[in-house]
Amino acid sequence: MRPGTFVRLALAGNRTDAARVALTALSAALAALAVLAALSVLAIQTPPGGPRQESEHYTNALLREPGLRGGTAFAILLLTIPVLALAGQCARLGAPARDRRLAAFRLAGATPGQVTRVAVLETGLASLLGTAAGLATYLVGRALLHRPDVNGRLALPTDVLPTVPELALVVLALPLIAAVVSALMLRGVTATPLGVTRRARRAGRPRPWPALLIALGVLGAALFEPIRRASADGLDTLLFAWVLLGTFTAVLGVVLAAGWISHRAGRLLHRYARSPAQLLAARRLTEDPWAGSRTFAALLAALAIGAGATAFRAWFALREQVWREDNRRAGISAFDDLDDQRSAFYLRTMDLVDLAVGVAVAIAAAGLLVMLIEGITARRRTYAALVAGGVPRATIGVSILWQVLTPVVPAVLLALGAGYTLGRTVNADIVSGGDWEPVCRATAELCADPATRDRHIEWVLAGGVVRSPGVPLEQLALLGGGAVAATLLTVGLGVLLLRPNTAVEELRAT
Amino acid sequence: MSTPHVLLGLLAGGTKHGYELKRAHDERLPQARPLAYGQVYATLGRLVRDGLVMPAGQERLAGPDRTAYALTEEGRTALDRWLSAVEPPMPHVNSTLFAKVTVALLVADVDRARAYLIAQRRAHTDRLRELTALKTATSSTMDDVVAADYAIAHLDADLRWLHTTLDRVADWHREVHP
Amino acid sequence: MTQLQARGLVKSYGPTPALHGITLDVAEGEIVAVTGPSGCGKSTLLHCLAGILRPDAGEVVWRDQRIDTWPEAARSRLRRTEFGVLFQFGQLVAELTAAENVALPLLLAGTGRRAARTAALTWLDRFGVAELADVRPGEMSGGQQQRCATARALVTEPRVLFADEPTGALDTLTGEQVLTQLVRLAREQRTTVVLITHEPRIAAYADREIVLRDGVIDHTGLGLDASLAGGAR
Repeated sequence: MRPGTFVRLALAGNRTDAARVALTALSAALAALAVLAALSVLAIQTPPGGPRQESEHYTNALLREPGLRGGTAFAILLLTIPVLALAGQCARLGAPARDRRLAAFRLAGATPGQVTRVAVLETGLASLLGTAAGLATYLVGRALLHRPDVNGRLALPTDVLPTVPELALVVLALPLIAAVVSALMLRGVTATPLGVTRRARRAGRPRPWPALLIALGVLGAALFEPIRRASADGLDTLLFAWVLLGTFTAVLGVVLAAGWISHRAGRLLHRYARSPAQLLAARRLTEDPWAGSRTFAALLAALAIGAGATAFRAWFALREQVWREDNRRAGISAFDDLDDQRSAFYLRTMDLVDLAVGVAVAIAAAGLLVMLIEGITARRRTYAALVAGGVPRATIGVSILWQVLTPVVPAVLLALGAGYTLGRTVNADIVSGGDWEPVCRATAELCADPATRDRHIEWVLAGGVVRSPGVPLEQLALLGGGAVAATLLTVGLGVLLLRPNTAVEELRAT
Repeated sequence: MSTPHVLLGLLAGGTKHGYELKRAHDERLPQARPLAYGQVYATLGRLVRDGLVMPAGQERLAGPDRTAYALTEEGRTALDRWLSAVEPPMPHVNSTLFAKVTVALLVADVDRARAYLIAQRRAHTDRLRELTALKTATSSTMDDVVAADYAIAHLDADLRWLHTTLDRVADWHREVHP
Repeated sequence: MTQLQARGLVKSYGPTPALHGITLDVAEGEIVAVTGPSGCGKSTLLHCLAGILRPDAGEVVWRDQRIDTWPEAARSRLRRTEFGVLFQFGQLVAELTAAENVALPLLLAGTGRRAARTAALTWLDRFGVAELADVRPGEMSGGQQQRCATARALVTEPRVLFADEPTGALDTLTGEQVLTQLVRLAREQRTTVVLITHEPRIAAYADREIVLRDGVIDHTGLGLDASLAGGAR
C-alpha cells in the first residue's frame, strides 16, 4: 500500500472514531505539557557556589533549592499517570466498531501487518498532533507567563528552556510509545478476519488478596521511621525509593481491590435488589467486576495519594504547633523567622500536592465519562429494545447510577483509609516538651573513658509528651465527597446520552 | 407418486388386507390424494402378477372376500432398490403453473398474465395459510406436520416465483413480443 | 371488537416518506401479518402502532383511546403493560440470566422478585427453555435467545404483541418452532398479534396479510377466518 492509502484508511471512520482521535491527541498534549514542565524544572542551572547554592531569582522554594527540584520534577511527572490512564480509556472509545472495521480490511485482503500499521498510524498521528500542540502551548504559555515581579523574581521557570534534543524527544517519543502500545493492544484483533473475537471470560471471581498488598505497603511505610533512625545518612535515596515502592504497592492494592469490592457490592445488591434498576446494576457488577478497577483506577490512585497528603499536612501542622509551644515554653517569644518560613514552605508544598490531586481527580473523572459513554453506546441496541418494550429511560439511567455508585463509595473509603494510614505511618509521632539528654550508646568501658565517650554520645529527648496528629476528617471527607460528587456529575452527563442512544433507529441497524 | 412402492413399503411390516392398506396409506400420507379401493386392488393385482406380492390366505368374515397380502423376496428387493435410488432433481420444468403464464404471455397481453399471476398468488397464499393452520393446531401429529411442511416448502417456492415473476412480467412480455 | 386502528398514518424520515397514509383495523385476538419488500415501511408502521414512534399525521387508536397523542411516559407505560414487543435479535440484557430477563417487565410493573421469577419460569417452560433459567444470553444459541425474548414479550400477558421479523435470525426449523408456539399461545389467550415479515411462509401464520408497497397498502390477503378481520381494505 502507498502511504497515502494508509493515511486514508487510518482516518476512515465515524464520529466516535473522530472523538477517539481528538481525545488521544488531547491526552498526548497534556502528557507532553507535563513532561515539558518537568524538563523545565530540571533545566534550571545551579548557580556557581556549591551544590546547595539557591537560584535566588525564583519566588518558589521548590524551584530555588537544588535539592527540591528533583522531587518537584518527579511530582510533575507523576501527573502524567492519570493522563496516560485517560489516554488508555480513550483508546477503548468506539473500539468495537473500530475492531470491526479493521477486521473488514482483513477480509478485503489486507495482511495482519498492514492492518496493524493502519491502526498504529491512527494513534501515532493523533499523538504526534497532540504532542506538537502541547509543545506549541508550552512555548506560547512560557512567553505569556514570563512576568518578573518588582524584584525581578519569577514564579515559574520561564527563563529556561529544555535543550532542543530534549524537546524533539518529547514530541517524537510520546507518539512512538503510544503507537507501540496500540500495536500491542491490537494483537488479538488482527489475528482474525472474522473480527468476532469473543472475549474469554476472566477465570474466577475476584478474591480479596489485594488487601495483602495494601497491608504490605502500609507495613513498608511503618518501617520507614525505625530504619531511618537505625541507618546512616547515605541511605536517604534508598529510603525514598522504599517509601515510593510501599506507596505504589498500596495504591496497586487499592486499585485491584476495587474489582473485589465491585463483585461483593454487586452480589449484595443482587440479594437485596428491589427494583429492576438495582438488579441490572448488580448483574453488571458481578458480570465484569474488573470494569470497576479499570474505570476507577486513576480516581482511586489520586484519592489514595491525596489522603496520604492530608496525613502529611496534619503532621506538618502539628509540628509547627509543637514548635511554637516549645518556643513559648523556652521563653522565645517571637517565632523564629527561618522556622516560620520552613513551616510555611511545607504547608504551601502541600497546597501544590492538593492541587495536583484535584487535577488528577478531574482527569480521572473525564476518563470515567469516556468509559460510561463507551458502555452506553456499546449497549445501545439492547437499551433501545428495552425502551421500545416500555422500560422507562429513567430506569436505565438509575441502573447506571447504581452500577457506578455501589462500588465507588466503598472503594473511595478504602482508598482514603489506605492512603491516610500510609501517610500517617511514614511520619513518626511528634514529641513535645522534654529535654535533650546525652546517652552513651556503647559498651560501659568505652563510655567510662571521656576520650571515647564523646564519639558515642547520642542526644535523646526525654520526658516529652508524645503527640500524634488528629485525623483530618474534614479534609478526608472533602476529598471523598469531592470524588463522589465528580463521579455523580459524570454519571449525570453520561445519562444525558441515553436519549440519542435509545432511539428506535438503533433497532434498524443490523 | 409411486403407489406400488408405497404399498410394498406398507406391506414390509407384515401382511395386510386391501382395506387395511388403504387406511394405512391415508394415515401415513395425510396430505396425499386419498387412495381409492379400486386403485388399491388394481395395484395389488399388478404386484401379484409381477411376483412382488403374494396372497397369504383368505378370511371369510361377514362381508366381502378379504384377502391378505404379503411381500415376496423379490418384492423386498424391489422396495430396497427403490429406496436407495436417488430421485432426479427436477430434470424438467413441467409445472402447469409455469406453462400457463408462458402461454398467457404468448396469446394475451401483460395485464392478462398479471391478473392470472395475482389470482394464482391469492390461491397459493390461501392454501399456504390453510396448511400452516393445520400445522399449528394443537391437535396436529408429526405426520401432519411433516406432510404440511413438504407442501408448504413447495408452495413457498411457487409463491416466491410468482412474486418475482409479477415484477418481471412486463420485461418478459417485451422479450416475447419485440 | 376492534383492538387497534390506524387512520391515515403518515410518517417521514427527513424528506423520505416511510408511511403514506395507512388505514387499517385489527380485531381482538386477530393475528395480522404485515409484509412487503424491504423499505416499504413495515417496521415504521409497527413502531407507530406500538406507540414507539409518533406519526406525523393520522391517528393510532387502541381500544377507543387515541394513543399517538399521549406523552412518552404514558405510551411507555402502555407498552410495558398492555403491549409486548419482539424484535429480530439483541433485545435480551446480556448480564441478566434468562429468568431475570423474562421477569424484567413484571419487576417494572412492581411484582415481587419471587413471584416474578415463578412467572418467568412458567413462561420459559412454555417455550421449552426452562433449563436455561440461570444461563446468560451469551451462552445460548440464537434460537434459545429468541425463545427467551418471546417469553419476555408474553410474560405480562399483553393484549397486543408486536413482532418485527421475530424469526429473521433463526434457521427454518427453529423459526417455525418459535412461531408455532407463539401462535398457539396467542390463540389460547386471544392476544392480538401484529407480525412483520417479508417471507410468505411466515406471513401464512397470520389470519390476514397486509402487503405494503412504498408506504401504502398494496393489497390485503383476507384469511380463512374472514369474520375475524374487520373491514380493513
